Formats: sequence, structure tokens, C-alpha cells
Amino acid sequence: MKRLTTTRRHFLATTGALGAVGLVGGVPSMLRAQEGKVLRIRLDGDNNVLDPGYMVGGTEVEAQLQCLPFLAEYVREGDTFTWRPSQYVTKLEQRDPTHIDFELVDGLAWSNGYGTLKASDVAYSYNRMKTSDWSGYFDALETVEVTGDLTGTIVLNQAFAPFIMVTLCHGPGAIVCEKAVEDAGGRFTTDFPAICGPYTYSATPGQRVVFERNPEWTGPLPDFDRIEGNVITEVKASELAYEAGELDCTELGADTMARYQGAMPDNTAITTAGQLQYMWLGMNTEHEKLKDIKVRQAIQHAVDVDSILAGAYSNTTAKSHGIICPGLLGHRTESSYSYDPAKAKALLDEAGASGLELTLRTLNNQERMLAAQIIQANLAAIGITVTVLPVDSGPFWEMGIEEKGDTWKELELWLMRYGTVPDPYEATQWFVSDQVGIWNWERWTDEEFDRLYKEGIAETDGAKRADIYLRMQQIMEDTGAYVWINHEPEAYAHRADITINAAPSGELNYRRFNLA
Amino acid sequence: MRESAARERREKLKLFLTNWQGVFGLILVLLFFASAIFAPWIAPYDPNAIDIPARLSKPSAIHLAGTDQLGRDTFSRILYGGRVALKIAAIGVSVSLVVGLLLGMIAGFGPRWLDNLLLLVFDTVRAFPTVILALATVALTGPSLAVVLAIVIVTSIPSYARIARTAALSLRNTDFIMAERSLGAGLGRILWHHVTPNVMGPLLILGAMDVPVIVTVEAGLSFLGLGVLPPTASWGTILNEGYLVIRDTPWMVIAGGIPLILTTLGFTFLGEALRDVFDPRMGRGR
Repeated sequence: MKRLTTTRRHFLATTGALGAVGLVGGVPSMLRAQEGKVLRIRLDGDNNVLDPGYMVGGTEVEAQLQCLPFLAEYVREGDTFTWRPSQYVTKLEQRDPTHIDFELVDGLAWSNGYGTLKASDVAYSYNRMKTSDWSGYFDALETVEVTGDLTGTIVLNQAFAPFIMVTLCHGPGAIVCEKAVEDAGGRFTTDFPAICGPYTYSATPGQRVVFERNPEWTGPLPDFDRIEGNVITEVKASELAYEAGELDCTELGADTMARYQGAMPDNTAITTAGQLQYMWLGMNTEHEKLKDIKVRQAIQHAVDVDSILAGAYSNTTAKSHGIICPGLLGHRTESSYSYDPAKAKALLDEAGASGLELTLRTLNNQERMLAAQIIQANLAAIGITVTVLPVDSGPFWEMGIEEKGDTWKELELWLMRYGTVPDPYEATQWFVSDQVGIWNWERWTDEEFDRLYKEGIAETDGAKRADIYLRMQQIMEDTGAYVWINHEPEAYAHRADITINAAPSGELNYRRFNLA
Repeated sequence: MRESAARERREKLKLFLTNWQGVFGLILVLLFFASAIFAPWIAPYDPNAIDIPARLSKPSAIHLAGTDQLGRDTFSRILYGGRVALKIAAIGVSVSLVVGLLLGMIAGFGPRWLDNLLLLVFDTVRAFPTVILALATVALTGPSLAVVLAIVIVTSIPSYARIARTAALSLRNTDFIMAERSLGAGLGRILWHHVTPNVMGPLLILGAMDVPVIVTVEAGLSFLGLGVLPPTASWGTILNEGYLVIRDTPWMVIAGGIPLILTTLGFTFLGEALRDVFDPRMGRGR
């Protein structure tokens, strides 16, 4: 009998060599899987709260767009957005400046045996929004009058033209099923108590969300049978998955967009939703170390925003001077502070703050981490030691919310980006006094700001409105709690044979994706 | 007696020097130590100095391994990253080796119930996947080098302890220990003078083989953003940042990967060669 003479080391060496040969010889060609009509997309995190009243936004709005009724939807005309009545209504008309009449389509069924969509569901949904975290969207709403099973009137307390565009087309305009939500205890989180839309919803946390055709749906059918939303936090990973053929549509990071614009991959098109994002470095005005406005002003002068735009964003984004995005009424083109380390140092000395140590919290993704490290270096130059703390998206979005834990007390600095809609009032609503501890993490209050916020909604004269929003941003800047960074475009790469549909603020509406 | 021991030592040294893998490993290991220890003198730049205009440059005479997205010199960052790896490996291996040795001998020489209890603890810890333990811990404490170190130590102790225990058990009833006991030697003296020298050899070899494992655990955790905090350079963070720009420039991934590969090869070859030379029970070429 012949003895087997393979030793462990031989075995390791052989398998290693075979592996190397395999890598060189046969990189398997990645083919796009096309079973049925499946759309594979990327979600940047788990959906934690699907309830329109208490959501974070982003992909949660995308889920609502598939599973809940809306009265209106965005229409893109070239570079501008308008609205049109949705598939759920036969009529949506502005009768006069304060009355909007609607009539719902008959026979659209809620799932789980909750009957059909009624005008009373609309009234219930919008009235409950007035007391929710997203109540700012409904400041102009007086009430919803139900005039029949399917008909009703939205009554505004003042003329407010953007109401349909800003509120009814966006996530907060989602309609929930009155009975189902009441049965669920008045609020819901990770699952819809009842859906009424072309797709059903199921989620595996940390992995994916699957939308499948809703057998009870009697409205117009979308092009895709099934939508797989893969949870991929890091946009770079998502881009690689797209290039490998594993995704049909992905958001693009700044430097990849620059690369694609130079050399577009095969069968790919880019759609830009809009520049309706505003990012800033936030400071907690109530924190012991940052209570002195001079310290905050020192930080405003110490951060070199141009370096951030070049180093972290490959110069593909517009520099920001406030929360109102480019193209909107009240957009600012300059700030009252500028990068001036000497002045920053002087302000810091004046405040008598030496050996200051601060923690900067940021989402753990490439651009933010790079931006954070540039800020870290900038602040080190004036003698502030910064610890950069990367945070996952779940805990990140809860950091400043009082009812989600105690992190808000120890928040010092953070990098934040909000998305907005095509009207300036939306961005300002998060910073009124009522929002302290909800979305106003900087925790300042200002009576003039609150007053101007109300005036901005009521004002109909464009020039006066612009002045109001310019003044509001000046108030914000004067708190010293903000270093404006940039307005990122929300751009998507997708297969050339798919037409995608994105809201101006970047949320995708898969049901309106078209396949050529 | 003395002469034969010296001769034996010379023979072993000769045996080691004729083992090309061992010598190669030793050179790599020495390089690793030297580059980490002398990093502040060798590194051409401050590893955290940002130079945005020079971002993502290719390797050149100015930047030997190119620069990263913030224009920091990758070569300098690799040298400083080696310090992190060395620190974790040196502290991790030595602490877990000493604690493992102590616990193992206690288990081997102690009462039966203590032995069983310790074994249960060792096996429980060993059964837990390192990365999952790290993920869970970091979720509670936040990322830091201390957490990585603690995890490395906790997860490596059982393997050392197990080996020390087995060796201690096999020695427990040998004649020379019996003789020592009958002469009235205390437990401490027996363990320190007679058991430890017999256990140390295999443990040191195991320690050398463990270094690359620990270095990769640190790199892995830093890659995931759970290890060192920015802007500290670690081979893992260099790899991660390189992976993010791999479509623009492959140099960072290559530069971050090479030291990891060399360190692993170096310590593995050295460990294997040491075992070949010093462990008479093992034949060559396994």
C-alpha cells in the first residue's frame, strides 16, 4: 500500500497556489440577473419608523410611497418640479386659497380586512400629523372636512400655496388607515398596520426590504413585479455592487460621480434629483464646553470649508451658507464669518478656553469621515482636541432626540445633513423652539425666529418671503452653533433601460420606475 | 553536562540557520519591529498631516506609497500603523500568555472542581466568535484601541491556558515532580522551577504564531471602524480607506495589504521553524 505523503504544509501551499491561479485565470463574469421583473436597489439603512408622524425620513418615505395612499405626487418638468393628483384620487383641486377639494377613487382596499380607503382616513391622518414630530408640515392646516364617503375638503388656516407640493406630495402627506392605526395603539414602527398600494412590505433588519405585488391592489399596475431593497450603508459598497451588476440603481458618492462623468460605465444613465440637501457642523449650545458663544464662533472661523469640499467631496458640491438650498427663495450666497484661524484663536483666548477637548459625532461613511478628519485637523490648529466618533445610522439619528435616550445631553459637535423640499419654509421648521429635543439638536430658541417662521408661511409676496428666510438664516448663524458646509446633489446611477423617479429631495418612488 | 548543553544549543542554532523559511521569517519579523519602533525617525512625513492638493497621488519619489484622500503620506501612515499593530500584538500576546500560563497551571495542579470550572470558562470563551464579541462590545462601549486590546486578550487566554494545563497535567505525576514533592518542595517552587520551563517552549512558539492572528484581528476591527479612532493610522483603516477609492487608485489597498501579508508570513515561518528546531517530539515537514 502506498502511503499518503501529503503534509499539512504541502496542502496549504498547493491550495494557496490553486487559489492564486483561480483568481488570475477565471474571474467569473458577473451577469445581471433578470428573473421576472425584479428591481434591485440600495437602501442606506434600516427603516425604523414607518409611521409618517414619527419617522426619520429618507427610505422610510420611499416605503410609504409604495404602501400608503397619497393625494398628490411630484411631476418633473425639465429642472423644475410641479405636482399632479395621484392615482388614489379622481379629483384634487384648489377651490380657493384656503380650500382644497378631493375625491378618492372608489374601492381601493386596505389590507388585513380593514375595508376600503375613505375620506375619514384622510381626515384622521392629517389631524394626527398636527400633533406629531412632523407637525411643522401641517402648520397651515386648519382641518379636513369630510363631506362624503370619498369626498372631503382640506381647509387651510391661511393662504399657503406650497401646501400641496410640500406636504401632500412628501412623506408626511401619507394617509394611514384610521381603524388599523387605532388598533395598533395609535402609532406604528417597523410594519404597516394596513397597506393600500401596489406593493406589500416585508423587512429583514440589517439585510433587505422586499416589496412584492399586492394581490388586493386594484389600481394601475407598476412595471416591476418585485423590488429588493438591499441595506447597504456605505455608498461605496453600493457603487461596487452596481458595477458588479448586483444592483440596478444606486445613489452616487461625490467622487464616483466625478469619475462617471468622465467615463460612464456601460448601459448606465445618471439622474440627478436635486441639490436639496444641506449639511452643517452642529454645536450643542447648552453643553458646558460650548455654552460660551465665543467658543462656538471660534469654531465657525476655524473650519476650512473649502478644504472639506475639495478633500471629501472632490469639488462636486456647492458650498453652503445656510439651510435654504440653491434654487430656492431665500438662498444665501455668503456667510458673515469666513475661514480665519487667527481670529478663531483670538476668540478662543478671549473666551479663556484652553485645552478644550470635544467629541465630533458623524455617520460612519466615507465623505463624512473625511470631512470630520479635516475639521479635526482645523480645530487642532487652534488648540481644540477633537475625538471623531463614527456612529451607525440607527443610533446616529436618535442622538439628539430626548425621548430616545440620554445622548442629547453629551452631544457636543456633530456633522448633520437634512434633506428638504422645494420650498424654503420646510427647512426652517426644524429649528423653531418646539423642535428643541426633537430635531433642533443645537438646542437654542429665538422668539424672532419663531415669529418669522409663522410670517414666512403666511407671506405671499416673493421678495418679502425671501427677506424673511434670509433673516432666519442670519439668526441661526448668529447663535454660533452652525458651520455651513455644503449642498450635496442627490444623484443616482441606474441601468439605461430604466427610467427612475425621484422626488426633488431625493426619495425614490419605485412604483413609478419604468422599464423600456 | 554544561558542554553538551552548549553543543546542543549550537546545533539547534545551526539547524535554525539552515532553515531558509525560518531565517526569512526572522528577517521579516525584525523588519516589522524595526519599522514600528523607529517609525518617528524613518517616516518622511507626519502621518496625520493633511495636504488636500496632493490627494490620491500615485507612488513617487516624494510620496513612496502615494497619498490618501486627504493627501496624507501613505508610507508614513503604514509605518505608524505598524506601531499600533505592534502595540496590540506585544501587549496582547504577553498579557494573555502570562495569564493563560497561570490559569493553566492552576487548572492542572489545582483541585478537580477548579479544573472543571476553568475548563468550562475557557471553552465558553473559545466557542464565542471573536469578531461577533468585538462587534457587541464596541456597540456598548464605542470604538477604541483599549477595547480591541481587551478583546484580543480575553479571546487568546484560553488557548494558552489549555496548553499550559495539558502540560501541567502530564507533568503532575512524573517521577521528578514526585521526588521534588517528597523532598518537601512547595507548590510554588514546583510550578515555577519545574513546570514553567517545560511549558514555556511550546507556549512561546504558539505566541509567535498568534501574533499575525492578533495583528489581523486589530486590522479587521479597524477596517470595520471598530478599532482605532481617526486620524490614527492602522493597517486596517488604510485598507478600508483604500478600498473606498479602489476604483480611483489601487495603491492604498496594495500599500495597506503588503505589511499585513509580510507580517503574517514572517511570524508564521518563524514560529514553524522554531517548532521544528525546538520541539523534538515533532518530526520535520508536517
